[in-house]
Amino acid sequence: MTTPEARADDATPAPTSRGRSRVPFFLSAPSVVVAVIALLPIAYLVVRTAEAGASRVAEIVLRERTVLLIGRSVLLAALVTSLSIAIGVALAFLATRTDVPGRRVLAGLAPLPLAIPSYVAAFAWISAVPEVAGLAGSVLVLTLCCYPYVYLPVLAALRRADPGVEEVARSLGRSPSQVFREVTLRQVRPAAAAGGLLVALYTLSDFGAVSILRYDVFTRVIYTAYRSSFDRSTAAVLSLILVLLTVAISVGESRVRRRDIARVGAGVSRAAQPVRLGGLRFALGGAAGVVLALALAFPVGSLLWWFLNGLSAGIDGVHLAESVVATTWIALLGAVACTLGAVPVGILAARHRGRFTTVVEQVTYAGHALPGIVVALALVFLGVRVVPWVYQEAPLLVLAYVVLFLPTAVGAVRSSVAQSSVRGEEVARSLGATPTDVLRRVTLPLAAPGIGAGSALVLLTCMKELPATLLLRPTGTDTLATSLWTQTGVGAYGAAAPYGLALVVLAVLPTIWLMRLTDRERGTPR
Amino acid sequence: MSTLSIRDLDVTLGDRAVLRGVDLEVPSGSITAVLGPSGCGKTTLLRAVAGFVRPESGEVRIGDVLVSGAGRQLAPERRGIALVPQEGALFPHLTVGQNVAFGLPRGERRRSPRVAEVLDLVGLAGFAARRPAELSGGQQQRVALARALAPGPSLVLLDEPFSALDAALRESVRTQVREALEQSHATALVVTHDQDEALSVADSVAVLDDGRIQMHDSPQAVYRSPSGLGVARFVGQCVELPASVSGGVAVTALGPMPVEAVPPDSGVAHGVVVLRPEQLRLLPLTTGEGTTGEVVGGEYFGHDALVRVRIDGNDSPLEIQVRTLGEIPERGAVRVGVSGPGRFYPT
Amino acid sequence: MKSVRRAVAASAAALLALTMTACGEDGGEEPLSDDALVIYSGRNENLVGPLLEKLEDETGIDVQVRYAGSSELAAQLLEEGEGTKADLFFSQDAGALGALAKADRLETLPEATLAEVQEGFADPNGHWVATSARARVIAYDPAQAPEVTEMTTVDAVLDPKYKGKIGFAPTNASFQSFVTALRVTKGEDGAKEWLEEFAANEPKAYDNNILVLDAVDSGQIALGLINHYYWYERVAEKGADAVKAKIHFLDSDDPGALVNVAGVGILAGSPQKEAAVKAVDFLLSEEGQRYFADETAEYPVVEGITSTKHDLVPLAELERSSVDLNSLDSLEQTLALLDEVGLT
Repeated sequence: MTTPEARADDATPAPTSRGRSRVPFFLSAPSVVVAVIALLPIAYLVVRTAEAGASRVAEIVLRERTVLLIGRSVLLAALVTSLSIAIGVALAFLATRTDVPGRRVLAGLAPLPLAIPSYVAAFAWISAVPEVAGLAGSVLVLTLCCYPYVYLPVLAALRRADPGVEEVARSLGRSPSQVFREVTLRQVRPAAAAGGLLVALYTLSDFGAVSILRYDVFTRVIYTAYRSSFDRSTAAVLSLILVLLTVAISVGESRVRRRDIARVGAGVSRAAQPVRLGGLRFALGGAAGVVLALALAFPVGSLLWWFLNGLSAGIDGVHLAESVVATTWIALLGAVACTLGAVPVGILAARHRGRFTTVVEQVTYAGHALPGIVVALALVFLGVRVVPWVYQEAPLLVLAYVVLFLPTAVGAVRSSVAQSSVRGEEVARSLGATPTDVLRRVTLPLAAPGIGAGSALVLLTCMKELPATLLLRPTGTDTLATSLWTQTGVGAYGAAAPYGLALVVLAVLPTIWLMRLTDRERGTPR
Repeated sequence: MSTLSIRDLDVTLGDRAVLRGVDLEVPSGSITAVLGPSGCGKTTLLRAVAGFVRPESGEVRIGDVLVSGAGRQLAPERRGIALVPQEGALFPHLTVGQNVAFGLPRGERRRSPRVAEVLDLVGLAGFAARRPAELSGGQQQRVALARALAPGPSLVLLDEPFSALDAALRESVRTQVREALEQSHATALVVTHDQDEALSVADSVAVLDDGRIQMHDSPQAVYRSPSGLGVARFVGQCVELPASVSGGVAVTALGPMPVEAVPPDSGVAHGVVVLRPEQLRLLPLTTGEGTTGEVVGGEYFGHDALVRVRIDGNDSPLEIQVRTLGEIPERGAVRVGVSGPGRFYPT
Repeated sequence: MKSVRRAVAASAAALLALTMTACGEDGGEEPLSDDALVIYSGRNENLVGPLLEKLEDETGIDVQVRYAGSSELAAQLLEEGEGTKADLFFSQDAGALGALAKADRLETLPEATLAEVQEGFADPNGHWVATSARARVIAYDPAQAPEVTEMTTVDAVLDPKYKGKIGFAPTNASFQSFVTALRVTKGEDGAKEWLEEFAANEPKAYDNNILVLDAVDSGQIALGLINHYYWYERVAEKGADAVKAKIHFLDSDDPGALVNVAGVGILAGSPQKEAAVKAVDFLLSEEGQRYFADETAEYPVVEGITSTKHDLVPLAELERSSVDLNSLDSLEQTLALLDEVGLT
């Protein structure tokens, strides 16, 4: 096996080189379209900010409360992200590389908290343990909801990482825990960073959970701006600050990723020899069990409790069924649209690095940390003026999902394309396949499991989305999330519970699909 | 099947001039190996021919077609080439048969006799339905070759095709690949850092170092008559003896010996004489031939052995390596004899 | 790999089918006729859905309702501007209507319509009209705090004997209106002082009024600051005997007895103005008002209508709080104040 450096130097020219083939038009053109879509809310915010005038902007930005709440948001995001990375990496490691009891069950259950909307979890917690209100509770609830964003990519990375490297480290005298710290963690770092980025951005944009848990963060000021003074300029200025924060965070993440160590060498993936945990087996298994109990069993349990309590009032089965159908098709459309948009950007990011790609990729992240309400209002503003015929119809809502959730899909496409060998694509070109042929016959089929997993993740996220769905859904359409909102709005928790449970059950399906696709990725030789 | 000709090719990657004025001609139907150490630019040369790297200047022609040069840069898929990369790079989502059929025209992919034909050529008849993951490394490499040969390319490019294989497999696969290439009358360019591979597979060998072709000749000529000390050192093991030459005879620690490549006009020249280890023989002490030396160590390979012998030279002791049949002799005095001429390189 | 492709194909087919069904449903079942009256309702579907259905039945107007939060809808209406499809905005509170009126997005209502409600329950400029009202009350556990019946002012809850025994819902809009009323009646410093003393009494924060009432009812706390109708709904649901908690109305000029309203306005430029006025009139009709009195246990705003289900203290008896509804649009400062004293 050649060393990575020598190989990379020899075979893969530096990205700036003239020798590198240009970005093909069939990738650059759609990527630009996607970037423009992602920029729509930013453009709107800039328009609104400009209306405010410089002195007003300065006044808003420099307000003591603004600064304080930015600090709080950053603190919350930092805590939730670090904890999510710790939990996500630990669970993925336990599930793939150790002899912890029940690891197959653990692997299957660990991503399921994705199915639980953070506002549902927050409500479950505060109604059972009112003391959780505040920073600690917000960190707890958001971490339990968000760690799967780290767990899933890290799990996939661990499964495709060459266990040989770890064996070499052992043979060079490192203890298992040293190997974990020095080798395994480094191998999963890019995956953990990509997941951590999604967690950080989600935390920044979340309003539902923190408002239920009464921890005042930055999104709260944005909401308050709308709610109290109906002052859209203030909200826009504040939202732009959030966009700047997002850009800063995602640039940081891409720095980490740039040091990504690609797999080299022929080795067909094989299962790693599980690390024997010895006496820690049950302790660590128990700890994983506690995480799952808190993240999954507890909110589902409290939904069930409400459900049983509300049974006497009866369930509106027809409306429930309609909500399930509406949620399914809108979320599916959202997932497909996000994935289609993500394919060109993700392939660019994996195969054609450069300034153009960097800009396009960063831009797709811009909308992700914006609260749903901001994106929704931006599309309200543009929709009414530019495309009134789809306003409050499915297409505009789907567009909002694209703006909000594109990065999840882009990340999935990027990592799964980056993982398949460039050599194969070159062979295909040499055998007479045009670049589009290569995409269709080689790149996409190989990346399909990873891209599918990304779509499943987007699907889950779309299902739970509330603020944009409320404002942009087709008139008369209720999704599970909006029905849940309606019922909890009047305190009818018993009547709300079936919608919450249906959301969880519905979300289990894509999660299972996601796990199977992640499994399958392991089997492909390189 | 066409001649590949590369003229005055310059390639720059980033700020680094990787290839500088490379000229190379691969005659139609022949196999040429480009041999060079890691980082010499040989993979870049291959990628420039394939069209994945855009040269700074110079020309690449395949047959009569100018594929690169004079502002023209033909897309890889229109060059009529086929690439066999390191480790085969089979498409894991396709069967062996589908892999082989990949480069065939759309209509012929499903049911072309060509697939069975080339699989037979590489000794893998009946493997069409297998998955790449079910094959051994050598089989994967041969499928990669079959895939390259199937569309009948003008030129096959092989990038370190055998480096991922273990030694035993390497030789048999190499033979099969050579035979397959010959049978299909393909023009082939093989890049490798492995001397044995280059010398045994190719009709001609081009030694690339520091971005330039240092020598291009038949394998025997490259091995026996390297154009310079660098080439000599790279294509095989060298025994280097400081020497002074006059009138075609060199005076060395091993006594006087005939040499080639002496500058014609000079009187006495100083430099080194290069011998291959197999030109040296160990002789019994009792014979009067050769020079006396002392065995200081050795390496045993089974079929032969390499023995390190210290010779007391005029100035300082000299250690040389001698190839010998069978066992490594006990430590002690031996005599070393020389057969055939050495190559002289002035310093 | 083959099965992946099959799965993808199957999902694509399913998606296509779903989309087609969905579109079919849109097209067939519920044609989006241009002459439908579009209502943006910030009031919950569970509360007003049946009433709006009744409106459709009684007036023959084709009604389409979009539900969301009042303030979100107000922001949406402001963004939509003249391109809005909405004809009518039904808001949970006066603030959202005021914001739209300020932006000239509401029509002036006919005099006859404005005249239907009791004095002080319509926008002085005639852009919107209240449809129902709710009063702030004190819910209490008679076992723990029988003396609450004697209270005249909300200042009484500052008594240290209630330390740790008061419940409130800091994120609830009605509570925030109450704080604004405090600011109006006591001045900024007075309000701040009041809130600081309140905070020192270690009140328990709940997510909403229902949870506050639950806590009072179960005796976890002695007092709760809530809206009146939560208690009436609870009594209607469970029977008076089953509800331990009682409520007490404070003096009508006390900020603790603030009356908030829900209301409605017609969007400027609505092509359905006539139908919209009809709809507003329906909400103010005896049937509409009785619905609020009976089903949501709110106060009707039209004189002479009383609840047949709930024993509501007549609105006239509460009189009008001395707090002017129009001064309640400074929520931002209220929130800043709450934040300052740590009551969030």
